[in-house]
Amino acid sequence: MANSVSGGQGGGGGGPYNYSYIFKYIIIGDMGVGKSCLLHQFTEKKFMADCPHTIGVEFGTRIIEVCGQKIKLQIWDTAGQERFRAVTRSYYRGAAGALMVYDITRRSTYNHLSSWLTDARNLTNPNTVIYLIGNKSDLEAQRDVTYDEAKMFAEENGLMFIEASAKTGENVEEAFLETAKKIYQNIQDGSLDLNAAESGVQHKPASGAAGGQLPHRLGGGDSGGNKSDCAC
Amino acid sequence: MEALLEDYVSSEDLRRFERRYYDELGKGSVKPSTVFEYSWALIRSRFEHEVKKGIILLEQLCFEGEDEAKRDYLFYLSIANTKIGEYQRALDCTRKFLAAEPNNRQAQELEKIIKERLRRESLKGMAIVGGAAALVVGGLVGIGMALSKKH
Repeated sequence: MANSVSGGQGGGGGGPYNYSYIFKYIIIGDMGVGKSCLLHQFTEKKFMADCPHTIGVEFGTRIIEVCGQKIKLQIWDTAGQERFRAVTRSYYRGAAGALMVYDITRRSTYNHLSSWLTDARNLTNPNTVIYLIGNKSDLEAQRDVTYDEAKMFAEENGLMFIEASAKTGENVEEAFLETAKKIYQNIQDGSLDLNAAESGVQHKPASGAAGGQLPHRLGGGDSGGNKSDCAC
Repeated sequence: MEALLEDYVSSEDLRRFERRYYDELGKGSVKPSTVFEYSWALIRSRFEHEVKKGIILLEQLCFEGEDEAKRDYLFYLSIANTKIGEYQRALDCTRKFLAAEPNNRQAQELEKIIKERLRRESLKGMAIVGGAAALVVGGLVGIGMALSKKH
């Protein structure tokens, strides 16, 4: 995969630094739901056992590919402890994607979702893609929140939803990638204005494209067989 | 972790926390959480004098703040001192932190960055000392030559 993309499009540099977009994500939710573990699993493909409470915020990046476009995800992982709530709010601004996490084995973390959602809605822009993640799906025996009720909550609030496990890695990639796909779709259909100050997306014009302003056309033309997969 | 050292607060956020801090101060007592929020905003400033003000507030919190939040104060003291190039102080903070929580990844990563910056700094220092020594030697040779010409 790296070989096929290292040559052409994207901004400066070569190899792994060759990407066309930067998407900003935030991860929010109660403390202990596994936000940092999800991030670690996504960026390092490893499970981090005995993870201490995050101090303030953590930051991670990974370059992914959506519809033939390389996209750098810049992910701000916020501390769930109440004493950080006021300060972590300043990281919501300009997020293109928000991963809102609860723990399927602790109902209280699910009950607090509406408060997290209110923050996310108030502090991000209307196009921010909010993805609800029920973490710790490996702990089926201790389940305290059913899949169906969370699914219904997600539908009522217009959120995407998945159950995942930072421990086994199940659905972790999917959550991060589907968020990116949705953001990318929003760019393509024009509902996300890249010129808006707080879109959460930066575009590095493709050097090979004419003027570089419509890189998704390159993706659309090149990707062929992937079309149905990424809906572009 | 490097990203946290280049993460800047918006001026409106900083003013918001500042206002809350001075409001409470005006009423006689400031909650430790308000001090912490204001100091965190300050140390994310682009301006060194504001970062330094944040450091003073965080140092006070280490004595007067909430016990369970001391790890946060130490961690951000280390970040702030790193930002203004006070690497020894920054290292003192991460060492204290890691003495209490040896396996904390955030503190480990931060310590690694500080040590790397210290190493680079000392190499630069050596280059300067080396340069100065060359100047001194050059100067002495010059004086010697001037003297020998006189004679």
